[in-house]
Amino acid sequence: MMLTIKDLQASVEDKTILKGLNLTVNAGEVHAIMGPNGAGKSTLGYVLSGREGYEVEQGKVDFDGHDLLDMEVDERAQAGLFLAFQYPVEIPGVSNMEFMKESVNTVRKARGEEPYTAAEFLKIAKAASQQVNLPLDFLKRGVNEGFSGGEKKRNEIMQMILLEPKLCILDESDSGLDIDALKVVADGVNSQRDGKRSFIVVTHYQRLLDFIEPDFVHILADGKIVKSGGPELAKEVEASGYAWLDNGDATATQGATA
Amino acid sequence: MSEWLASVVDRAERVDDWLSPARQQALQRLLEQRWPTRRTEAWRYTSLHTLEKLQLPLASAAENSTSEIPVIDGLQSLDFVFENGQFVGVAEAGHKPQPLEQARLPNGLSVHALLDSANTELSAFNKAKPSHHLFGLVNDVLAQQGLVIHIKAGATVAQPIRVVNRLSADVESHHRVLVVVGEGAKATVIEHGFGSCASVSTAFAEFTLAANSQLEHYRFALHGGEAQFFGGSHFNLGEHARLNSTVVGYGSQISRLDIDLNHVGEHAYAKMNAVYLLAPKEHFDLHTSIEHMVPNGTTEENARGIVGDKARAVFNGRIHIHRDAQKTLAELNNRNLLLSRGGHIATKPELEIYADDVQCAHGATVAEIAEKELYYLQTRGIPRSQALVMLNFGFIQELVNQMPNKAISEWLAPQLRERFTAMEQK
Repeated sequence: MMLTIKDLQASVEDKTILKGLNLTVNAGEVHAIMGPNGAGKSTLGYVLSGREGYEVEQGKVDFDGHDLLDMEVDERAQAGLFLAFQYPVEIPGVSNMEFMKESVNTVRKARGEEPYTAAEFLKIAKAASQQVNLPLDFLKRGVNEGFSGGEKKRNEIMQMILLEPKLCILDESDSGLDIDALKVVADGVNSQRDGKRSFIVVTHYQRLLDFIEPDFVHILADGKIVKSGGPELAKEVEASGYAWLDNGDATATQGATA
Repeated sequence: MSEWLASVVDRAERVDDWLSPARQQALQRLLEQRWPTRRTEAWRYTSLHTLEKLQLPLASAAENSTSEIPVIDGLQSLDFVFENGQFVGVAEAGHKPQPLEQARLPNGLSVHALLDSANTELSAFNKAKPSHHLFGLVNDVLAQQGLVIHIKAGATVAQPIRVVNRLSADVESHHRVLVVVGEGAKATVIEHGFGSCASVSTAFAEFTLAANSQLEHYRFALHGGEAQFFGGSHFNLGEHARLNSTVVGYGSQISRLDIDLNHVGEHAYAKMNAVYLLAPKEHFDLHTSIEHMVPNGTTEENARGIVGDKARAVFNGRIHIHRDAQKTLAELNNRNLLLSRGGHIATKPELEIYADDVQCAHGATVAEIAEKELYYLQTRGIPRSQALVMLNFGFIQELVNQMPNKAISEWLAPQLRERFTAMEQK
C-alpha cells in the first residue's frame, strides 16, 4: 500500500475542514479527487504535505510504511511525497536551477543515492525542461519569478520529473491553463506513470481527466469522500455538476475502493 | 570640536600645495561645523565617540606592504592601486604596479595624480551641504593623494577601471578620486576599499556625467574589524546621462558611506542598488541623497541589508524633488532582514517633494522570512534551516544578480554567501 488515510480530520484556524476522510492508494494507481469549491480538496494536499497551520485533529496516515503525520515537511518530501501546487510561490533571488539542484540532491541523499554533480544535473535538467516545454532560460531566473500561470505549472511538473517521487499529489494543476498547456502538463504526468508511482489528481473539472486517465474517481464534499467509482464517475459529474450533492442524493459510501 | 578634529585642522594648516586656496575655503567651512552628537540628524544613529580622542600618524608610503592586490577573476580590470590612501601604481591582471606615467591606458582614458592636475574643483557637494559632509570637508582639506580620471567625449572605455585601496596599517589616510565622463562617453568604474586594521580613513569620489554619457559604477566598502571609515560617491548627471551604480557594504567599527546624486540635466536615468551584510558588532551607515533639480529625471533605488548578531545598520534615503522638477519618476525601497534579537536597524526614507506632477514611491521594511516561501522549499525536500539560508541569501542575491557585470557578481556572490553562512551559524 502506498498511502492509507484513515478517518482524517483536520482544521485550519479552528475550522474543521476535513471531517473523517478515508482513502487508500496502491502503488501505480491514479486516483482523481473531484469536488465542489470549499470541499477541502486543497486542504488535503496541504495536510498530507505537512503545512504549518493545518492541524490534524484525528486520524492516521500511512505513507509507504511511514507514519506520515509524524514527519517534517521536508522529511515527507525526502520519503517520496510530492505536491504540485495550484499557486506556486515566486521566490526572486533564489535561482530556479540552484533550488532544483539542492532539492534533487537532498532527496537523492535521503534515498541513499549519490548527489548529482553540477554537470550531471544540468544535463538532466535540460532534458526535463524540454519535456515540459519550458525554455532553459527559465532555469536561470528566480524560482517562478515572473512566470505566467502556465509556466509555473510546467515548472512544478518539471520538479516532479526531476524528483522522481513515489506519490504525486497534483492540486488543480489544470486551473487557469489553456488546452495546449493542459496537454503539456498531462503528458508530463503520463510520462511518469510507470506502474509503481502513484498519483492523486485533485481537480474541480473533468477536463484534465480526459488527458490523465484515472483508475479511480472520488467525490469529496464537505470534508469527506462521498462517492467513489471508476472513470465513468467523472463523466457523470461533467454531465450533472455537483448540485446533486445538495439533494441528499449522494450514496455516501465511506472510504474508497482500492 | 573633538580632539581628533582639532588635529585635522592643525594638519590642514600645514598643507601647502596648489590646491591650498580651495582647501582654505573648505577649512573655513569645516571650522563652522559642530562636532556631531546624537542630536545631529545626519549622525543620530552613528556615534563618533571612538574617533573623538583618537590620534594616529598620517599614512606614508613606508607602511606599504608588498603583497598583491586581489584580482577580480575574469574582469581584466585596469587597477589603480592605493594602500592606506597612498597611490602605489597601475596594475593589470595582478602584475606588479607600474608608475602612472608608464601605464598604457586604453584610448579615450586619461588619468592624472590629484596634485598633477590643474583646474580641479575640490568638491561641489561638500560646498553645497557642509553640515552633511563633515568628512568630505576633512577629505577636502587633507587629501593629497588621489586621481583625476577623464573619459574623452564619445569614447567607450571597455576595460573596467578599478580604484582599489587596501588599509594595512594603523594610520590615518585621506584620498579622493574625481571622474569626468565626457559627452556620449561610456565607462565602468569600481571603487574598492578593504582592510580591517585600526585605521581612520576618508575616501571620496566625485563623478561628473556629461550629456548622453553612461557610467557603470560599483562601490565596495568591504572593511571590517577596527577600521573607522568615512567615504562617499557623489554624482552629477547631465542631460540623458545614465548611471547604474551598486554599493556593497560590510560594517566595521564605524563605516559610513554617503551616496549623493544630482540630476542637473533633464532625462537622466539613475539605477542605484545597495547591499549590506553585517557580521556581529559591525556598524554600517548608508546615507543616500537624491536631488531632482530639473524635470524628466528618473531614479530607481533599492537598498537591502541583512544584519546579524549585535550589528547595527543605518539607512537614510532622501529624495528631494525641486519645484521645477516636473515629470520626475523616483522610487526608493529599503528592505532589511534582522537575523537576531541583538541586531539593530534604523531605516528612514525622507521625501521632500515640491513639484506637483511627479511619481514618487518609497518604502522601508524590516522583515522576516515569508512562511509560504519556506514551506514551498521544504515541500521539495530542503530542510528548514537550509531553506532559511537560501531565502535569506536570496533576498540580497536578487540585487547581486542585477549587477550588469557578470565577472563582478560571480566574484562577489560566493564571498557574500560565505559571510552570510558564518552569520547564520552565530
